[in-house]
Amino acid sequence: MNMNLGTRGALTFRLGDFSFAVRVEEAGGVLDAERLAHLPGVAEPLAGVAAFRGEMVPVVDLAAYLGIEAQGPSAQRYAVVLTRGVDRFALLIPEIPKLVPGRDLREAPASAVDPELGELFESELETDQDHFHCLNYWKIFETMIPLGGAAGPGRSSVERVS
Amino acid sequence: MQWRREGDRAGSPGPSAVLITFVTALLAGAAGVILAGLAAWVWVGAITFGGAYLASRISRGVTTEGPLKARRLLLMLDRGGSQETKAPAEFTEEWGTLYERLNKMAFEARTSSTALAELERYRKQADLAASILRDGKDPLTEAPELRVGPLQSLLEGIKTAASTPVVSRLPLGEEELIGADGEGLPPTWPKPTGESSPRNPEIAEGVARGLRQLVQDLEALAATLGGEGHRQTTATGESADLRTPAQLVDAVVLTAADGIEDLAAGLMRANELASIAERVTNRATLLALNAALEATRSGSEAFASIAEETRRLAEFAREATDTISRLASEIEYKVGETITAIHATSEDAKTSLAGIAGAAMPIPASARSARAQIGKLLDRARELQRGLNASSSDLAGGDPAAGPNSVQEHVENDPPRADKLPAEGILLIEGLKPGARLES
Repeated sequence: MNMNLGTRGALTFRLGDFSFAVRVEEAGGVLDAERLAHLPGVAEPLAGVAAFRGEMVPVVDLAAYLGIEAQGPSAQRYAVVLTRGVDRFALLIPEIPKLVPGRDLREAPASAVDPELGELFESELETDQDHFHCLNYWKIFETMIPLGGAAGPGRSSVERVS
Repeated sequence: MQWRREGDRAGSPGPSAVLITFVTALLAGAAGVILAGLAAWVWVGAITFGGAYLASRISRGVTTEGPLKARRLLLMLDRGGSQETKAPAEFTEEWGTLYERLNKMAFEARTSSTALAELERYRKQADLAASILRDGKDPLTEAPELRVGPLQSLLEGIKTAASTPVVSRLPLGEEELIGADGEGLPPTWPKPTGESSPRNPEIAEGVARGLRQLVQDLEALAATLGGEGHRQTTATGESADLRTPAQLVDAVVLTAADGIEDLAAGLMRANELASIAERVTNRATLLALNAALEATRSGSEAFASIAEETRRLAEFAREATDTISRLASEIEYKVGETITAIHATSEDAKTSLAGIAGAAMPIPASARSARAQIGKLLDRARELQRGLNASSSDLAGGDPAAGPNSVQEHVENDPPRADKLPAEGILLIEGLKPGARLES
């Protein structure tokens, strides 16, 4: 573990001209989002729900939320599941993320932060080749679906979504 | 002794006499029975031998009938058979059928041998006539036996033809057909002489036949050169469709296109399979990624090794899928190039064929001038035919002095000279012959 960085590694992916990273401590897994279940009456950036280890998790289209044109080479899409306690939601991304070990990651200086990301920005990671924005993804989710105090143990994410 | 005396004395038979009589009667009865049996056997034997004798006589009669009929058959065969001969009435059906068939065969053999002998005689006469003709003599004068028979009319015709000038036997002179300078035809033909001399109606009729044939040939030739080259008229008048080279090129291109369509269909199927392989690879990659993610989160070495193997497996699947996709794309690209090349080659071939067709004209005359020349020949031949028909009508009318000139007369008066035949005309004739090849 890179103790200075505080993470064992990160899942990295690109959206348009931006590169993003999700710390492995936050990531629960990666899904093939080929078959998303769309919810009636729900518009973007909530793309629908997907099944992950027997539970339904809401899927947020990160590119649509950030207003980034993220047309990949194919129509294949994937979802990175984020976990916090019993809460889960997924970020819809256009490519399979890469796992970068923590030994290859460094904390980037604050000057490299993209000002457009605003308060969502949490930290900047970098390797020898690229820079990655670590966002407060849960904040994105909460702006869409406030968790509040109703989210107690034993209740699934789907129940909270509905 | 006593007894004899008493018997003698009384005059009546004694006991011994009765006994003798009884034994005698008994023997006589037995003998009668034996004789009656013998007589019965004699009758049976006589009847048996009689039947055997009659049967032998009957069978002897049947076997002697065959040679008689065979002798009648041989007699019929010696006579050679005839169409009127029927089987004798006393013949059975089988013998009658055999008789009639043999009669027919004998008749045919006799007639065939007669015809063969006749043919052999004609052959000998023809050999004799040919040998006399080779000597430059008249066969009818030299060999009197040739004056009777089928060769007589032929030899008389040869004699008549031999006495006629060579040029006059032509239906038309080459000069009239081609023109003295090879470029055109004489302005008027036949030339009017002011008198009619239908002296030889047979030759005139021959000229008329030649003219009719010439007109027919020229019409067919003009039709062929007039743009009907893609249709060929056979001797029986049937027209068979023949594909032009351009159509053949189209057919070849069509066949190649069909094969490439099949290839493209197979390629589409391969692309579908490659797409499925891509999805499988993606799943494997996701599995490897999730395994690596769990190993990273847990920090377990064992989990990390499993995750590494899974990652290698996914990487291998990715490479294989990429190779398949790349090969499929290359094949698709090459198929597209091949289709384009085939179409371009087809167009080039059509253009080349059109160029060859345009250049393949007989030298020195082009097809246009040949058609024009043939058209003139046709007009002139028709004109000659009309004149000849009018001449024949006048001749039939019994006024020879008033009729126009005959072709024969003109040819006799103004025979064309073969040495005036121009080289261009000879080339034109050679080029117009059936089967002549047009070379550039």
